[in-house]
Order: sequence, then structure tokens, then C-alpha cells
Amino acid sequence: MAEQDFSLNLDDLRPSPAEKRHLSDYFMPPRHSFILFHPDRCTGCGACEMICSTRNVEKVAPVSASVKVVRDEKEGKNFSILCQHCRKPLCLPACPTRAIERGADGIVRIDKLFCTQCGLCTMACPAAAPIKDSGSQEIHKCDLCEGDPLCVRHCPENALTFTRGKAFRWIKGLRWTVQLISFLLLVIVLTGTFCYFRAGSVSFSCPTGTLQNIASTGTIVLFGVSSAFALLILTILSGRLFCGWVCPFGFVLDLVDKMTPKKIGWPSFLKSRMTKYGVLAGAVGGSYALGFQVFCTICPIGTVCRAYGVQSFFRSAELAIVPALASLEIAQRRSWCRYFCPVGAVLGLTALLRLIKIAIGAKKCKKFSCIQCAEVCPVGIIDADKLREGLSPKIPMTECIMCMRCVDRCPYDAAKIRFRWQKAVPGEIRT
Amino acid sequence: MNPLQPFYNMKIGVVDLSASSADVIPLDKELVIKHLGGAAMNSAILEQYQGDPLIFGTGPLTGSFAPASSLMVASLVSPIFKRLCHIPFMLRTGPDMKFSGVDCLVVKGSAPEQSILHVNRGKIQILSAGNLQHLPVPEAIRELKKKSPPFQSLMMTGPAADRGVSFASVSIGPNGSLDKVGLASLIAKKNLKGIMLGGMDGLPFNSNNPYQGKELEKKISTDNNFKHRGFFSVLKKLDGGKYAGKSLKTSRKKDMACYHCPSPCMTHVTYSWHDPRDKETQDAQDGLLLLDHMGCVALAKKAGNNILPVLKTCLYYGLDPAGVAERLPEGGTLPEYFHAIDKIMSDNPPHTTGVPEAHCRFGGGVPPILAGDLWNKRVGLAMIIGVCPIFLLLFPQITDADLLAFISTSEDVLETLRDSLSSTIDSLSKV
Repeated sequence: MAEQDFSLNLDDLRPSPAEKRHLSDYFMPPRHSFILFHPDRCTGCGACEMICSTRNVEKVAPVSASVKVVRDEKEGKNFSILCQHCRKPLCLPACPTRAIERGADGIVRIDKLFCTQCGLCTMACPAAAPIKDSGSQEIHKCDLCEGDPLCVRHCPENALTFTRGKAFRWIKGLRWTVQLISFLLLVIVLTGTFCYFRAGSVSFSCPTGTLQNIASTGTIVLFGVSSAFALLILTILSGRLFCGWVCPFGFVLDLVDKMTPKKIGWPSFLKSRMTKYGVLAGAVGGSYALGFQVFCTICPIGTVCRAYGVQSFFRSAELAIVPALASLEIAQRRSWCRYFCPVGAVLGLTALLRLIKIAIGAKKCKKFSCIQCAEVCPVGIIDADKLREGLSPKIPMTECIMCMRCVDRCPYDAAKIRFRWQKAVPGEIRT
Repeated sequence: MNPLQPFYNMKIGVVDLSASSADVIPLDKELVIKHLGGAAMNSAILEQYQGDPLIFGTGPLTGSFAPASSLMVASLVSPIFKRLCHIPFMLRTGPDMKFSGVDCLVVKGSAPEQSILHVNRGKIQILSAGNLQHLPVPEAIRELKKKSPPFQSLMMTGPAADRGVSFASVSIGPNGSLDKVGLASLIAKKNLKGIMLGGMDGLPFNSNNPYQGKELEKKISTDNNFKHRGFFSVLKKLDGGKYAGKSLKTSRKKDMACYHCPSPCMTHVTYSWHDPRDKETQDAQDGLLLLDHMGCVALAKKAGNNILPVLKTCLYYGLDPAGVAERLPEGGTLPEYFHAIDKIMSDNPPHTTGVPEAHCRFGGGVPPILAGDLWNKRVGLAMIIGVCPIFLLLFPQITDADLLAFISTSEDVLETLRDSLSSTIDSLSKV
């Protein structure tokens, strides 16, 4: 009788977790929670290390913490070493005993029972986040305190922010889809129809173009004026939704923004949102003086619709206008929309009559002060300092392009779309 | 029962440099209960030893959950003022002393050769430091980091103390300190270069409520000092914003805090300057952590806009900036200031004891931002309990009861501690 092999291997003791794949995994990012560190806020007091160590070793011992604050004495900068709970953690395959697991909640944990304290994970991690305790030789690694990190709660400067990832940002997906369809429709299929379009009794025209037309010709054609109302009515109903969701040049700017994540900044003396009203006045005044629609010749929305269509590809010098103005995106996100766009100016004035608003209830998010809404806002109208103080910021709806990034990004459902007469969050005093 | 047991290692390190011996002995329980800790306990220990002993001690709250619990007190008979003085040391020195396994360190005698102490895990080593003699502070730190056992905090003297300059000052890392009463001279007389604190251990504090510190933070959060905090708000209280604030206007600043402090009163400045002694090089970028408010004001009055290069030079040699300021020419140029500092280093002029009696009792560097007796009481309380004296001066609404609440919740214990504390504060103020 053949001798039976009873030897056990690692797979018998600790089988490799099977990779669970759902249909949604192919197009949705997995849930990803982590702690964000803001170096500009950190004063290096070490409260995070202190409180973290009490959880790890039941005594105050900063060297046994899972978070480390590194102080650069020459530069005066503080850095934190902290597990980022990567989507594909390198510590996980490095562990020879499979003691490290990534849970369904996205938290990467070390199972102390299986950890042999070999320290391979500390070498594999690019952030050196698993920390070997020089005393007990144990490996300490952040496990997000199972969803309520103590370091975040204890940081006196709110330099740490706990970010609960969302499974899927549906608004983002929908917005990009609508933007792409609008771009294809206005630029490729219905080339040039944004400026003026008429099919029988149905007509559409750009409100800024209409104003310039009235100024240049000195006559008001009722049909032409009424055709501009479509966009104005949309703005009254939904704010500047056109700018955030439909504008083909806005879509180009969003694409350029994706390609240029680092911004060089905009000189402060040029940072006046009133400039666009000046451009509008200049466009109307210039049209009156010169007898033709001055701004329309260089309007980036008009040119992107006219010059890039299939029929008119490489037709005119207008081609250069879009890249030239889109290059402003290197300085700041949506620079053109913030400071110069006269179409935005007309819609901004119309938005004074809007029915809806974006409201951010700071009471819901004060505990964490994550200010992600302020960070994602492409036109920079959310006051992060107010949020840090625990006050709800007032969103100027004349400037808001209704992209709803704040609503989409807020992990605490504190950013909402409300009717303008509703309070931000029931019972909250808005400033 | 000793209510302070969880707050101390109950160990005292005794170093006899003459005999090259270092022992760790139990800390007398009665001594702790009677004097609580810090400056009061140091005074009591000082009486037990002969021959210019130096005592480095911590308070019961040092390293604990109490806010700004960063204090270590050095007690000595000042060679300049010929009286008992207590010097506060902040940053992380206090907690690191406790986390190194001793609550108090007695240094007596004089070493046969230049030595440095390394304290870690309740053990003290006397190491040779002959290679560090006459090395500037930053270079000596670099040497130590390369060749000595690992340490978290470091207190050391510079070449000024090695040469016996009366303006010498002890430096915490490269950042200087509040020593203005000749501690550096006494250390140098003992042939000691400094003390390295390993801080590799921890202490299981009484952690019934780790959020107590946050609650106290809330209590002071409405205070004006909390809103307008930072190094410059303290400077403004000292000189009304006339000198130091103006002189430091052009540099980039970042608030920095000591261990577990919610109200940072230090700042890191980055500045560019040109060394007039080196004509070939271009403007250099430099960084400096400012923690000595009194020294900065004194230097700003004399050196004006040249304050930062002059201060950097003082810290480079391990000199007290306030003492140096007395010797600088009025309205001079940078080369003249450097010449004056070189002259101090070579000629060793006598120390002018210009520090007021009350201030020199507590090291001469604690800013007098409260009046007379109140200043005495607040600093006395801080120096005993182990909390930063500047923090307690900034927030007078934090009472001794608030701080004692971190030690115990039992009314009986608190009553005993209150009585003991008030009598020790009185005796400390009278000495």
C-alpha cells in the first residue's frame, strides 16, 4: 500500500481568498476608504500618534503607533506615514503567511494570529505604512479603527480626513455621458446650430449672440428674441445647467483639465468674476459701434460648434481660438467660465431668478471637515474656511455651473439640491 | 495608594559623571505625593545631592492626554544668577523622557572626558562625545544621527558652551531653547555635551476618557487667543507688533506645535538671504523653527530685517539670542552683526543679568504676557504639573482643577492633590 502524504501546506492552513468578481466590478471602482493627510494644516503635535498607540498597545507610546508624523526641520514641513488601503495593495502578495487581507469594506488588515513579524510587508509597501514596533517587534498597520479612526477625531487641526469611498458616482458618469452626447450633437451632427437654429416654427439662438445682434442692427425681431428664451428658461428652472452639462466648450475644458491636473495659478489681480460682465458689456457695445456681432467671431462655444464639424473641418482660422482659450485651463480650472465667458454672464444674471440651489449643510460634515466639495468645485465657489469653522457656506448660484460634483463627491450627503426657498439642512442657520 | 502611579514610571536615573556610573533607582512615592512633580519635585531632589547637581524632571501630566503636555523641567543653581532656577523644555523632550523609562534624571559630578548621555528603555549609557567638541550644533546633530544609538529627542550644547561663553544656551535639536540662565555653561562645566532621549517605550496613562483633552479644547476654542493663535500673536503681546512681527514679515511661515498642543505658538520660517562672508554663492534658502519669543523680540529690536540670519548664527553656535542682542550694534549691517557674534565667541564678555528676578526663576524665556503674581502662579502651576507654561499663560481660563481632572475622578484624591498643588505653587513662587 502506497504511503499517504499527510503534509499540510499554506493553502490548507490559510487558503488564498478567491477573487470575487461582480458585473459591477468591470465598470465601477471598488469601495475605497482611507485617511487623507493635509500637510499644510499639520502642526506636528503628534496627537495622532499618541491616540493611535493607545489602541495598538494600550499605552501612550508614539513609537508603537500605526501612523507616523515625520517632521522636516529644514523645510518646516510635516508628512504622515499612513496606510492608504490601496486598491491593489503590494503588502498583500508580499506576506508569506497571507496574514494581510483586504476586506469587503476595502480595509486592508493584518491578522495578528498569522503574522510572523517577518517585516516583508514593511519593505513591499511604497509608503512604508506597516510599521515594525522596535520594542515588541509587532507590525502595526492602520485598520481605520474599523470605520471610525481615532486619529481623525483627535487631530486638533483637522489635518486628517476620513474619506469613505463611494461605490459609484452616478452623477459623474451621467454628466460625462450627457457632455459627450451634447458635444457630438452640437459639433458633429448639428454643426453650427448652437448660435442660431430654425426648423419651421421651432427656433433656438444664443442669448449673447441675440443681444449683440440687437445692438449691431438696432432692431428687435420678436421671433429672434423669443428663440433665445429656451436657454434662459432652462437656467431659471435649473440654474446654469447648460454650462456644466451641455456646453461643448465646457466639455473641452473638462478634458483639458483631466490632462493638466497641476495648475500654475492665476494672478490675483485678474481674479475678478465681474470681468465676464465687462466682456459682455464690451461685446454688446462693440457690436453697436462696429455694426456686426463682435464677440461671435471669437466665441469659443460658437467656434467649436462651427469649425470642428465634419463638414467644416479645417475650414477656417477659427480653429486656433479653441486651443488658445482652452490653454487657460493650465492656470485654473474653468478659467474661461469663471472670469471671461459672456454667455455665462447672461446665464448668471438669469440665474438670479433660478428656482433651485445647491446647499451644503456643514452640521453634517463638520465632524470630519473633509472639504472635498470645495476641492472638486471647478469654479471654486465653495468657501472651505467656512466649512472648517463648521458653518454652511453660501453658494453664489450666479457662479455655480450646476455640475453637481459637490453633491456627487460628498461622502456624508451634506451637499444637496434644494428649492431656493428651502433651508440648507432643517434647523441649521445659514450664514 | 499613589494616585500618580499611572503617570510615572516611578524611576529616577542618577548619573555620576565623576565615577562614570549611571543607575536607575525607584522614585520615592512619598516625594511624588508631597511635591507632585516638575519643578517642585526637582527642588526636593536637588537638596539630596551635593556638588552642583542638575535635575531634569517631568510632571505628572507630561506625555498624558492633557493638552500641551510636553514639559520637562531642568533645575539648577544658576552660575549667572547664583540662585535656584527652573528652565522649561518643550517640543517632545518631556514625553520622550518618560517614554525612555525614567521620570527624572539627576546628573552630578564632572566627566573626565567630553560625554553624552543616552537614555532609553530605563537604561542610561554614558557615551564618549570627544568628536563633538567645538562642532556647531547642526553638524554635531548630524554626527550623532550617524554614529549614536537612535533617539527621538536631543538636548545639547554648542561650541559657545565648549568655549565657556557666558551667553551659551542649551539647544533642543537645532532649534534653541528658553535657557537664559546658564544651564549650558553648567552642562559644559560637567564635560557633558547633552542628553539623547530614546523614547522607544510608552506609559499606560489613566485613560478613562481619552477625549478629555478634546473637551478642554472646546472650552478654550471661543477664546481670542485660540482664534488668533501662533508665534506672532505671542510676539504682539510682547512688543505690540512693533519689532519682531515687522522684521519677519517677508518670510514664509508655518505654525508648529509641541507634543499634543492644540494651540501652536511656534512657527517655522523659510527665508532667502545672502551670506556677506561668502561672495561667490548666490542667495540661499534657509529654514528655522522659532520658539524663543523673548529672544526674537530682543534680536528684532537690534537687527531689524536681518533677524533671521543672525538668529540662525546664534543657534549655530548655541548662543542665547537675547544675550547676543545686548551686544549687537544699533542699526548695524549683517557683516557687523556677524563680527559682533564672532567677538562674543572669542572675547567671552561678562553676562549682563538683565533678566527680571521672577523671570529668571523660570529660565528667563517664558514670555511675560500676564501681569505679576498671576504670571508667577500660572507658570508655577505649569512647571509642577508638566504642561507648557506658555499654553497656560495664553489660556487663563484653564484652572488647576481642569488639569487635575486628568489624574483622577475621585473627589477625595482630587482634594488631596489640590491642597498639595496650591502649597507647592506657593513654595515655588517664594524660593
